[in-house]
Amino acid sequence: MKRRKFLQVAGVTSAGLAAGCGTGEGEKWMPYLVPSDDLVPGIPTYYASTCRECPAGCGIIVKTREGRPIKIEGNPEHPVNRGRLCARGQAALQGLYDPDRVTQPMKRDGTHWKAITWEQAETEVAAALGAAATAGQDRVAFVSGAGSGPLDHFTDTWLAAFRSSRRLRYEAFAYEPIREASRLTFGLAAVPSYDFGAAQYILSFGADFLETWLAPTRQAIGFAESHGFHDGTMAKFVAVEPRRGMTGYSADEWVAPRPGTEHLVALGIANAIVRGGGSRVTGGDADALRGFLARFDADTVSGQTGVPKDVIERLAREFSAASPSLAVGGGVAHQHQAATQTAVAVNLLNIVAGNVGRTVTFPAGSVFDHVSTFRDLNGLVAAMSAGAVDVALVHGTNPAFTFPGDGFAAAFAKVRLKVSLSSYLDETAELCDIILPDHHPLESWDVVEPIAGVTGLVQPTVRPLHQTKQTFDVLVGLANHAGKNVAPAGVTTAREMVARAVPHLDTLLPHGGTWTAGAPRAVRMTRDFARATFEPAPFSGPNEGLVLLAVPSPMLYDGRGANKSWLQEVPDPAIKITWQTWVEVHPETAARLGMANGDEVAVTAGARKVNALVCVYPGVRRDVVAMPIGRGHTAYGRYALNGANPLALLDPVTDSSGALAFCQVRVTLARTGERRALATTEGSARQMGRGIARLTPIREAAAGHGEGREEPLTEAEREAVAAAAASQAKRRDLGPYGQEHPKWEMTIDLSRCTGCSACVTACHAENNIPTVGEDQVVRSREMSWIRIERYYEGDPSGTDWQVAQVPMLCQQCANAPCEPVCPVYAAYHTPDGLNGQIYNRCVGTRYCANNCPYKVRYFNFWDYGLEGAPKHAFPGPLTWQLNPDVTVRTKGVMEKCTFCVQRIRFAQNDARVRGIALTDGAITPACAQTCPSGAIVFGDAHEPGSRLNHSKRDARGYTVFEQLNTKPGITYLSRVVHTAAGEA
Amino acid sequence: MAAMAQPLRSHAPEPTYAEVNRDIIRTLDPPGAGWLAGMAVILLGLSIGGYSFAKQLKYGLGVTGYTPPVFWGTYITTFVFWVGIAHSGTLISAILFLFRSGWRAAVYRAAEAMTVFAVMTAGLFPVLHLGRAWFAYWVAPYPNIRGLWSNFKSPLVWDIFAISTYLTVSATFLIMGLIPDVAAIRDQAVGWRRRVYSVIALGWRNSNNEWRHFMRMYLFLAGLSTPLVLSVHSVVSWDFAMAIVPGWHATIFAPYFVAGAIFSGCGMVITILVPLRRGFHLERYLEIRHFENLAKLCLLTSTIVGYSYFTEYFIAWYSGNPIERESFYYRAFGQYWWATWTMITCNVFIPLLLWNKQVRTNLTWLFVISIFINIGMWFERFVIISTSLSHEFEPWQWAYYLPNHIEVGIIIGSFSWFSMWFMLFIKFFPALAISEVKEALPPPQRAPAGGGH
Amino acid sequence: MATPPVMDPRTGVVGVFGDLDGTVLALRELKAKGYDSITVYSPVPRHEIDEVLDQPVSPVRLFTLIGGLTGCALGFAYAISTSLDWELITGGKPIVSLPPFIIIGFECTILIGALSTVAGMFLNARLPKFRKAAGYDPRFSADKFGVLVFGGPAQVSAAEQILRAAGAEEVNNV
Repeated sequence: MKRRKFLQVAGVTSAGLAAGCGTGEGEKWMPYLVPSDDLVPGIPTYYASTCRECPAGCGIIVKTREGRPIKIEGNPEHPVNRGRLCARGQAALQGLYDPDRVTQPMKRDGTHWKAITWEQAETEVAAALGAAATAGQDRVAFVSGAGSGPLDHFTDTWLAAFRSSRRLRYEAFAYEPIREASRLTFGLAAVPSYDFGAAQYILSFGADFLETWLAPTRQAIGFAESHGFHDGTMAKFVAVEPRRGMTGYSADEWVAPRPGTEHLVALGIANAIVRGGGSRVTGGDADALRGFLARFDADTVSGQTGVPKDVIERLAREFSAASPSLAVGGGVAHQHQAATQTAVAVNLLNIVAGNVGRTVTFPAGSVFDHVSTFRDLNGLVAAMSAGAVDVALVHGTNPAFTFPGDGFAAAFAKVRLKVSLSSYLDETAELCDIILPDHHPLESWDVVEPIAGVTGLVQPTVRPLHQTKQTFDVLVGLANHAGKNVAPAGVTTAREMVARAVPHLDTLLPHGGTWTAGAPRAVRMTRDFARATFEPAPFSGPNEGLVLLAVPSPMLYDGRGANKSWLQEVPDPAIKITWQTWVEVHPETAARLGMANGDEVAVTAGARKVNALVCVYPGVRRDVVAMPIGRGHTAYGRYALNGANPLALLDPVTDSSGALAFCQVRVTLARTGERRALATTEGSARQMGRGIARLTPIREAAAGHGEGREEPLTEAEREAVAAAAASQAKRRDLGPYGQEHPKWEMTIDLSRCTGCSACVTACHAENNIPTVGEDQVVRSREMSWIRIERYYEGDPSGTDWQVAQVPMLCQQCANAPCEPVCPVYAAYHTPDGLNGQIYNRCVGTRYCANNCPYKVRYFNFWDYGLEGAPKHAFPGPLTWQLNPDVTVRTKGVMEKCTFCVQRIRFAQNDARVRGIALTDGAITPACAQTCPSGAIVFGDAHEPGSRLNHSKRDARGYTVFEQLNTKPGITYLSRVVHTAAGEA
Repeated sequence: MAAMAQPLRSHAPEPTYAEVNRDIIRTLDPPGAGWLAGMAVILLGLSIGGYSFAKQLKYGLGVTGYTPPVFWGTYITTFVFWVGIAHSGTLISAILFLFRSGWRAAVYRAAEAMTVFAVMTAGLFPVLHLGRAWFAYWVAPYPNIRGLWSNFKSPLVWDIFAISTYLTVSATFLIMGLIPDVAAIRDQAVGWRRRVYSVIALGWRNSNNEWRHFMRMYLFLAGLSTPLVLSVHSVVSWDFAMAIVPGWHATIFAPYFVAGAIFSGCGMVITILVPLRRGFHLERYLEIRHFENLAKLCLLTSTIVGYSYFTEYFIAWYSGNPIERESFYYRAFGQYWWATWTMITCNVFIPLLLWNKQVRTNLTWLFVISIFINIGMWFERFVIISTSLSHEFEPWQWAYYLPNHIEVGIIIGSFSWFSMWFMLFIKFFPALAISEVKEALPPPQRAPAGGGH
Repeated sequence: MATPPVMDPRTGVVGVFGDLDGTVLALRELKAKGYDSITVYSPVPRHEIDEVLDQPVSPVRLFTLIGGLTGCALGFAYAISTSLDWELITGGKPIVSLPPFIIIGFECTILIGALSTVAGMFLNARLPKFRKAAGYDPRFSADKFGVLVFGGPAQVSAAEQILRAAGAEEVNNV
């Protein structure tokens, strides 16, 4: 697959760009009268590029059909994500085809916007810029998101030309504490890169490293390597955080300290290691550490944090015993006013355990080195309200939404000319006077360097949909208008800039960039950290209040994903709620306050308050409530206008590193009297011993006992099953099915699956699955063909409970109950072992869905695909994302997963055409392809040597509801867990 | 039976043949205000149903209350309800005919008409519950351009065959029985009515030859209808029993459903005959003992149904299958407890009153009880379908379903549809079988002893 | 037999009876006298009349039998042949799996059996017929019995005697 795909991966030459990347508007049916070389109708063209959905900088391969990007997959060559991609990356397409994009320059005219030409816009802005420059120093501000590479650096040059250095690379999640802590402990203000793959033992202090923290996909890959059960062993992962999220679900043990005391736990553990002689530090540093840590003895720490003494000492033993181990910390949700101390403590843990240089290394640079701190933004806000800024340009970031309270808006209003370079009418753009819409990254040229040595290329995959203009070109244009020539000689467009910066561009483009393993910087411990004070973080608000955790959403990130219906509808991996903003309350707290699921409550912090729906959740401490960041938009588009924004409850308070303290206030909850059904996909959170998602203690797994459950069939039943199987073998009854066919099957390793839901989004993208909206999810009419079921195991009243997760999709049963009940053969069995579903035949009796024990058939209650229908799911350009190889289902038909049968057939035909044999792994369903932890293996069960058969033979293998004799085509490998009090 | 019937005679002398003709044919007189008012209500109900269905066709099943995993709801519930209603008709006309029980003569025509119209009503639902109702005919196995036939392994196709056969045969049965009566009407009628009825009567002349073949035909139709009536509801029950859904997948279903069908059917017969008797002053023909016999039939079938309920729960417990147990525990004590207990109260407890002769022979009581039986039997199907589906194998997908106004509208429409046909029928055809009522009477004799032999 | 009857132009007479036993009496007499073309009109079928006339058992049952068997055969043939026409496996069951087909066979048995029974009745009873029936009187569908006798001139007049003797309320010529 990979190899052949790479033959197809194209670089965009100017000719290719002109001929290849047409948007192919519906009315023009002959754009390919003179076909270009890299475009054959019906045959996809792939472009290698780089994902811009978060600063991690994953490499992507964009699949285009007839000039339209229809699917994004990870770039297998790329060192960051090695062919995998998260849900947000998958959803970048919906950013490109966003029906609410700003399609051309616009000027505020009183309360509404009026369209203007680029010429007008640029003249106007250039004039203002010139005036500002002559008015004095630093009167022009340019706020962008995290940037790197030549185009990003050019912005500084450009700004300098207007006598300003007010350049902010503003990211809501900027990890200042980690950088500051590195400075304090290693004298190097940088974000280290963590090698989860090598770690034998992972200790996380509130880092959601599988969701939004740093480079989630890269970390997920590593985490699966170490924490996935292999050769009878696996790493142990302990999550130390007051709120257990999706990352915490993969933890073998959950320790819930008081909020604001994570650093004390870490220091307590470090101290215990040193005292226990487990420290790998020698010489003077050892004595210094010993001295510094002395005051964090287990008793004191236990008293301050609420973590039992024995737990601290056990974790210390386990952590130091395992080598190399890895401690990480500094998740945004737990970024309180002692966040830097947490990061410092984590560094010290890694130092004493000897992980520095092994699992913790410092690359020569990373994208975060240049990202501004929140304190810098505060500075800008101050300057703006002081009237020191005449022109402000905002690009690729939305401070009006992510800045706590309304301080930003007030200050921003004082700026004379506010220019937005966003292609979306988000909160910040709404505050601006002029919008100069940028291309979407899938229409742009760029070079990004997420970490030193990795140069990722961004190239256009489609001719621009709208009259947008890449910001680089705009800046050059503005400079020219203002009579300043800042661009390098002969450079007028981004493409030329990229070509100038990257030698051999055309040979690199098919690969998506170039990467050289740069040697990490050597670091040694400094002692500056000792000057910091190590006390529990303070919280504003009443003492009896509940500490508010504002949790970054793995789907919406800092809110930038909010106008993508896929990301809104993919259930939150932990909470399983869609489209709404909830507030997580511990069952006992909820009982005390007399609140139940779906109660709308006013979450109040001082004078500020937002409304959210109560979600009773055992994964938070009794003294904590948690709300997801990302919803509560007041602008940004049709899908974004729902829920509430917890950041509105905060003050722009920073910690010692200048990071915003997301975790700063105690709130009070009060019922408003309203009730709304939660738009959750969860039916029951307990699987009542039905063995759907199975956990195996590592002792048993290591002993090869598999999932260790008793035989589900009685003797009589087994005989009946055997007899049935024997009778099925009769050729006479099989007809054409008796011939030689492959049998497509799948295995899913639950000890690798983290529940990240990337597969869900990939499935949406590949199979034209409609999103149904909040009111339909409430009626459990969601259409997603693959869902992650999340069951609690054990007693969730304390912290000693596990989460069993299972991706549930069509099991492609050999004896499928859904098939024989269909009167019209819409559901039938294909000779290669799939449960075919012929949409055109279906009359919609829904009998198949009733009879499916796995409940993986989905019914089109509405005409989701019909323009103008009440629940139309693909408004505007979103239709252009639809996969031409897959039918868009009409109302009244049943649909379901068929292992991406269109990919199977494409590969088979392709092989036939090329006269080559299909090799194992040549076919990969969308879910398996994107799975960051590589939990899904797909293949032919009739091919003895296939990877599938190898993993099917694993002792942990089981099928769901085996007693029904449906003979599922999906084998699950049960998740292996270290028992809490157990061994590393 | 006659023994206990004696004291209940509401009137002294047996009617003569002539009186029978007069009294029964009188029911065809032009309708009164009551009939017209009823018809007005019915048309209103029909338009409500029509509107709801039109809306559903336009926008899709999303307008209903369906909440996956409950993919079948009140439509299939009401379908089974009407099929059940349809059963007592054939039972009374065919099985009691074979058993030669005399009391059948008075009630069978109404019951049979009810059967036909109930099937006509039931037949609507498999179509209008479809996601793509406009393609309903694809379910029928006919040669088509897709080269695709029906899947005869699907219980739904069995349904098509069973229901359509049942409709055809019971309609035939009704029409055949009507022929001599229509002839009698023809001979009384004048003008255009005479011409119309002569056509319908097919030239029947009551000759000994006609009677000879007619009686044979009638006997064999009865013989064929008897296994049919038992099979139809068995097949309907297999729509559920053949599925693996816990709460459906049970061998008891066929007899359980047949008993329930007869139970609900007799209930509906009472519900219909009580007003009919009053409205048309047929006290001489629809005697208390007839109602009492129907009541006894209800009592019998009610106990069978009650026993089936008990068996279901017992087996669920006895099987030791946790999923089965969970399903039935949920049925009785889960979110749907109200439906389950309505069903048990109406079908098991309230009919117990029929043990009491006073109740059994009091038409007001019987009418009220029969209403409860109808309600209870509708809820039985609702409980079986909704509770089982909403609480299946996959806990993650459990959900709670309630019908919404569109479904209610269509159910109202179905009742109106049924009533419309019945109201029209009783105005154009005798609601009692003239010839058979006569048959049941002693023939006119010169000598009281009865001559001839 | 007494003196041969005088010539008589009539070909048939119908006697109208108000009671059953009179009718039966008349019939018994006529049978005894060897009249063979007798038609009885009666509001209801009466076994007494059948006993006197003792006609052969109606052949309708043959129609039922043949129709039923045909239906059964057709039902199975239909299900099996269409399954083989396009072989699709569902639920791992044999392409031709007889148990479910039994239901189709059964329903077809009943359906075609019933319809052919009705057809049999129509054929044998010569229905529908729309010409006037000789000697029919609307009262025969209400409360009167009618005995219609055909025969030669002599027989007719003798029949009239018998009918009157049996207590016919009136005897009409045909």
